[in-house]
Amino acid sequence: MNTIILNGSPKGNSINSNSRIFAEEFIRNMKNPCEIRCIANADTKELARYAAGFDAIIIILPLYIHAMPGIVMKFIENMEPAATEDKYIGFIIQAGFMETAQERFVEAYFADLAKQLNYNYLGTVSKGEAAGIYMYPKMFKKVFRLLNDLGSAYEETNAFDKNIVKELGKPYELSKSILVILSIVNKIGLSNVGWHRELKKNNTFDKRLDKPFL
Amino acid sequence: MKTVIIKESESITIPNVTTFDLAQMAVKDCTGCWTCWWKTPGKCIYKDLDGFYHEYITSDKAIYFCKVTSGFVSGNLKTLFDRMIPLYLPYVTHSTGESMHAPRYDKYPDIEFYYDGEFESADSRQIFVDYINRVFYQFHSKTITIKAIEEFIAEVGEGA
Repeated sequence: MNTIILNGSPKGNSINSNSRIFAEEFIRNMKNPCEIRCIANADTKELARYAAGFDAIIIILPLYIHAMPGIVMKFIENMEPAATEDKYIGFIIQAGFMETAQERFVEAYFADLAKQLNYNYLGTVSKGEAAGIYMYPKMFKKVFRLLNDLGSAYEETNAFDKNIVKELGKPYELSKSILVILSIVNKIGLSNVGWHRELKKNNTFDKRLDKPFL
Repeated sequence: MKTVIIKESESITIPNVTTFDLAQMAVKDCTGCWTCWWKTPGKCIYKDLDGFYHEYITSDKAIYFCKVTSGFVSGNLKTLFDRMIPLYLPYVTHSTGESMHAPRYDKYPDIEFYYDGEFESADSRQIFVDYINRVFYQFHSKTITIKAIEEFIAEVGEGA
């Protein structure tokens, strides 16, 4: 199936774009890798017209405030309903929060959007705790392998492999045992080490709790 | 009680209330740079919303009049939501049993959210309402009311 991948990150193709990394890993093992285009800085009207010429559109995006970044919604606003019944659309979300239940609101919207646009819905793949991927890629080898396999399977079957989707989506919710671990990690300050290192590097540690707009 | 209005609908005008008219302003898109978290805490790299941030965070109530777009909020309003992240801390709490950003400020306005437009089905409307509720729950607003704009007009009158 002739598929276009749209990178929905406002960071576009930059080195610190996790969606770029996801897109590259998704197509890595394909025999005929899909074309990847960025929504950032594109003419969304023109890009929507171009994407409509493919059999399938897969949008890879970060989760911003429980949904797509504003630039992706601007792209969606320019999409026209398909005139034929053979168009497909799917989504791959990478998010900062650990549990993928955070994505349930936009997943429901994306399924509904596919209906509105007369596209067949491929589904939405969600991966949590992904914010650090560009900073610590070595820690995410398993995620990359799953994305490689997801892409290969998609090329073969024109569908998202359910088992891989399930694996990437773990944990869906925070279990009691995870919450206990997180409360200990929070209590001893481990969860903020990365933030505090960056704040100190920028000489803004003392200002981290500022309320500048009162 | 201080109120701020954020609107996309031309039909609504409320005198003597600070109003941000999104139909007249294209909000600059969030770039995901995290400058507001680790370089200038609480301040976005862009300055176009500085007036909005002050009015929003010092208001007791924020009233939104939004245009339903493809069954969702418009790209411009979604960008405004994205750009509200400087009002919160990067730190994540789990006290509610799920991940949430910690508040930066002591209080946030209550929300009245009116939507203008049709949905393809009752399910589509529910998806929209659930999303808006979730946004302002994550944004630490204590009271959230979501209604069709017709209900506001019936209560207050158009152009009130």
